[in-house]
Amino acid sequence: MKCEHCDIVDRNTKAQILYEDEEVLVAVKDVVTTPGQITVFPREHFTILEMVPNKILQKCSIIANKVGAAVFEALGAQGTNIIIQNGLGAGQKVPHFSIEVIPRRESDGLNFQWQPKHLAEDEIDLVLKLLKEEADKINLKEELKKERKEVLEQISKNGKEVTVKDPETKTEMKVEQKNKEDYLLKSLRRIP
Amino acid sequence: MSRELSDSLSNLAPEQRKELEEKLKKMSPEQLQELQKQQCIFCQILAGKVPSKKIYEDEVCTVIIDINPASKGHLLIMPKEHYAIMPQIPEEVVGHLFLVCKHLSKALLKALKAEGTNIFIANGPAAGQRAQHTIIHLIPRKEGDLVLDLQEKLFDEEMLEKVKGAVESKLKEVLGVGKAVEEAIEEQESKKKEVKRAEREEDHTEEKEIIPLHRKRGPGEEEFFITSLTAKRYHQERCAFAQNIPADKRIVFAKEEASKSGLKPCTCVTGKKIHLKTTESKIRKERKKTKTKTKKQPLERHKKQSEKKHQKQHQKQNENHTKKHTKKQREEQLQKKEGFVSLDDIADLFK
Repeated sequence: MKCEHCDIVDRNTKAQILYEDEEVLVAVKDVVTTPGQITVFPREHFTILEMVPNKILQKCSIIANKVGAAVFEALGAQGTNIIIQNGLGAGQKVPHFSIEVIPRRESDGLNFQWQPKHLAEDEIDLVLKLLKEEADKINLKEELKKERKEVLEQISKNGKEVTVKDPETKTEMKVEQKNKEDYLLKSLRRIP
Repeated sequence: MSRELSDSLSNLAPEQRKELEEKLKKMSPEQLQELQKQQCIFCQILAGKVPSKKIYEDEVCTVIIDINPASKGHLLIMPKEHYAIMPQIPEEVVGHLFLVCKHLSKALLKALKAEGTNIFIANGPAAGQRAQHTIIHLIPRKEGDLVLDLQEKLFDEEMLEKVKGAVESKLKEVLGVGKAVEEAIEEQESKKKEVKRAEREEDHTEEKEIIPLHRKRGPGEEEFFITSLTAKRYHQERCAFAQNIPADKRIVFAKEEASKSGLKPCTCVTGKKIHLKTTESKIRKERKKTKTKTKKQPLERHKKQSEKKHQKQHQKQNENHTKKHTKKQREEQLQKKEGFVSLDDIADLFK
């Protein structure tokens, strides 16, 4: 495989692994912009951000946030940058989705600033229209509910108990997956 | 809070500055937070006081178009609550923000036909953060535009090892995994053990105080005495006679009333002898057995003068006595006395 990040998972390169998990890896690579740059990426191979499932994305982002917090003390950084390069036009060099955490100091030599452009109001309104149409289709709540239902259905086949957190009420519910047949069988046994 | 306020303070005259600083010290943290919200532009945008172009709104976050964009379609995603930097934000909110980014980048790729998107977060002024509110930048990209160029270089293995050594332990502490957590658990367990040990030692010391052994106490030390209705004498607490009295029939009285009672004191009270219960007497006997029976030699100064003289004479005699024992020595001595002659010499004359 040409993918560097998959090679890191298989331990074929010189990269140093800091933290490993079933789903996520944290490692330091050879080819970086500054010493101290840390990459966080999922174990499975996803090329771009849109292909990564919701759960894994959430986990990666939480871990990247904590890496950023740890770097302040450990490397004596005065600031951090978190960057995702998504797509060839954005400068993605490895076809494996990853989040980069870059520690910064004042006299670095690095400059991520961009020159702001001046756009006319017509263009801005066009952009507004187009994006609003697409954004209205987004419904995160329903997506998360669907995923949860699928998980419950899988578990109901096995017949186990599951604790589920309701985001609305913020309480834990115990969902007992009892099959209907058990109830009927019990009622049969009661009849003398 | 300090940066924005200090910038605004620097514009004021020194007198007004002093007044404001005094006010700030007196205010509570809640009031300080409200001040921050008034100063923060983005909090005002989110509240609706400043006009802006919103694209998506949620319970947790909102998305607006940037006024000074890097390219067409530059979006800003920010949480509704005011946080200064990302590490302060709770986990659930962070996950939610990134999911929103994912959906919006999909929309950008569709609607504006971009070739790629960049997600950019700056924590701290050294990283390029200009506002006091955490913002996620979502920038659509095309090849050749000079927006975010990360030029990569090759580094040595030493650098990698240094970074790993510095960051690994702190990371695991933050994530709640690994040796740091195990060490913390060990500390807790050791603390629990120490607490248990301390409790046990306290119990032991209390027991020791209750049973004072072998040490005799004079009549002046006791505070109270024990008798019964039909007794003729009164006893100390640790006396075996007192311990045999059942609790119902015990009478306790203080030292001062002893003379008024008309009872005689037991030998334990007078100090001559104590009758202890079996356990204590056994311990005393064992101690006597373990003691070695060596005669104590009296000291020299206690000896009488005649005894000292005798000893000296004995020593001299012993020295001489050893010489007399051998035959040769006897003969020599005899020869020395008054010209003694041997019989062998005389036998030649009589022949």
